[in-house]
Amino acid sequence: MRHISLVSLTAGAALLASGAAFAQTITPKPGESADLVLLPKFLGILPFDQANQGAQEAHAELQNPGELLYVGPTPENSVAGQIEIVTTAATQGQAGVMLSNNSGDQIVPAAKAAMEAGVKMVTWDSPIPSAEGEVLFVAQVDFNDIGVVMADMAHSILGGEGKFAVLSATPDAANQNAWIAAMETALQDSKYANIELLDTVYGDDQSELSYNRALALVDKYPDMELIMAPTSVGIQAAAKAMQDEGLCDTVKISGLGVPAEMVSYTLNGCAPEFALWDFVDLGYLTYYTTYLIATGQMQGEVGETFEAGRMGTYTIEKDPTRDAGNRVLMGPFTVYTKDNVEAAAQ
Amino acid sequence: MDISKLHPQLLRVLALLFVLVLVVLFFSVVVDNYLNARLFNRVSTSVAIIAMIAVGQTLVVLTRNIDLSVGSIVGFTAYFVGQLLADHGDLHPLLAVLAAVGVGGVLGAFNGVLVAYGRVPAIIVTLGTLALFRTMLVEYADAGSITTIMLPPWLLELPRTNIFSIGRLDFRLTVGIALVVVLIFHLMLTRLRFGRRLYAVGSNPEAAVVAGIPSQHVVFFAFVLCGALAGLAGFMFLAKFGNITVVAGLGLELRSVAAVVVGGVNIFGGSGTIFGVLLGAVLVDLIDNSLIRWAAISEFWRDALLGMLILLAVATDTVVLRQLNRLRRHRATKLTDQSTEPAAESRQ
Repeated sequence: MRHISLVSLTAGAALLASGAAFAQTITPKPGESADLVLLPKFLGILPFDQANQGAQEAHAELQNPGELLYVGPTPENSVAGQIEIVTTAATQGQAGVMLSNNSGDQIVPAAKAAMEAGVKMVTWDSPIPSAEGEVLFVAQVDFNDIGVVMADMAHSILGGEGKFAVLSATPDAANQNAWIAAMETALQDSKYANIELLDTVYGDDQSELSYNRALALVDKYPDMELIMAPTSVGIQAAAKAMQDEGLCDTVKISGLGVPAEMVSYTLNGCAPEFALWDFVDLGYLTYYTTYLIATGQMQGEVGETFEAGRMGTYTIEKDPTRDAGNRVLMGPFTVYTKDNVEAAAQ
Repeated sequence: MDISKLHPQLLRVLALLFVLVLVVLFFSVVVDNYLNARLFNRVSTSVAIIAMIAVGQTLVVLTRNIDLSVGSIVGFTAYFVGQLLADHGDLHPLLAVLAAVGVGGVLGAFNGVLVAYGRVPAIIVTLGTLALFRTMLVEYADAGSITTIMLPPWLLELPRTNIFSIGRLDFRLTVGIALVVVLIFHLMLTRLRFGRRLYAVGSNPEAAVVAGIPSQHVVFFAFVLCGALAGLAGFMFLAKFGNITVVAGLGLELRSVAAVVVGGVNIFGGSGTIFGVLLGAVLVDLIDNSLIRWAAISEFWRDALLGMLILLAVATDTVVLRQLNRLRRHRATKLTDQSTEPAAESRQ
């Protein structure tokens, strides 16, 4: 049964792809062996765990006789730890590393050395800013879209007028920095003329630091009405801080969060709107992409179209949000409100 | 008033109070809208957690040791008790607190055995367990996290509960609990034999052994108590922040050592007061809290300033104590001169 459905899917995809004359859709051949490493920013937070679920699902589906390792640094050692794990992967002769980069361009020397040693480096969630040392980036959503979605949530919560601040993760997080920059660009539009961004602070993806930073923002800007936190740790910490201090009526929280963690704050009005994509899907798509590249079935060049199991067909394109580098774009975005958050939290 | 007649510890407490006032005055000038009830609420609730860790750290430092693993103990107990309450929501609050203190105590005992009976230097043992306990947490958490929806309502209410309020000045229950703990340990250090033994072991370990003090047991129990207090702080941490990931409590060891040193505990053991440590904790927290609001200071400089504060405290400590001792000796010799040579004064 399974085989037949794969064949029929392939046929469907081939039909779709026939529009693009130069590209043949690549259908993954299962059962090829490739030892792969899934490397998150650090271990121990829900989104990365979900990405691992997705990757494990794809690993089983593709019947890869090789190993899929989920390894990451401890949180206090994220930057150095990631570099070390990439270096180790090269000496161990792993076929591919899937990296959510938390080290900015500091990872480049290690990543380049790994590529030279034959390890295929694929980034996901957070890319290597200069794109050096990576084959391509599996983007959760278009980074510019995240900027627009955040600007729109701010617009909707503030009622078109007001002041807000950003509570981010670490100062070197490539993805958060890119989203905030995209949001600042989006805010230039005349639609947001009456919305003012006051400040950007960093909670280092730690609950206690994010909690205190959120309260400090409240103290520093008495007329601030919204905190935008594009990180799953920051957004819950900020929401709890406002709830504990009885500030939910005056200062709202928004940003990017996991529905299961945000449901109570959305229902009680502390965080009326927030957004996210599916991390299980992101892990699944990243695995398919990396498997194809690591087993030599795909080169990772612009224009290549491939089949990613239950998620359908994707095409590699030039990454328009960075100066260099290619990407596979996943999407879509879901904005959660009190109407849909409960269902998503199940 | 003659400064040299004051007890050095009292002098230090006065100096800390003076610095506290200076800091508040300084920031009320450079930061708009600084002096208000919120400042008290912020600093008091945050000190409630760090003070307990600092008290535990004090017990250890008094014996000439150090515990660098407290941050990891806080993180582990916060997660452990969070998981416990997520699985058994009807668990009695007191049992949850006891579990936190118990787990912390066991981890502290592990440090204690290695330092006191294994004779391994505390800085090496606790540097090891700092990583070890954190890794235990990573393994135990299995990439999961504790979130507020998993926790029983009473726990989430705890940090919001006031004992009393004056205007917008809230006196929170957690702050009350921390003050009671501080008071208990103040009494223990000043009134109980165990307290005096901590000082004795720290000021002169050889003499303490000669005097028949079981110094290995004393050091061991100092670590156990330090772990237990870190466990209690872990419980408060869970109640306050609600969302516990494997990064919980990271860096608290540095902050507790800062509070202890700034609070006037001698890093080479043997002297220091709990009241001074409380003031040290308040000062460190106040400065940290205020620097965030001071636009002139960047993120990076805040940590650097905390470091400078520690250096300044240690340097002042050394200089002031040396001067004070010189003054004392000088006075003592003068007094002996006067008693042996009554004619000395009339000659001048």
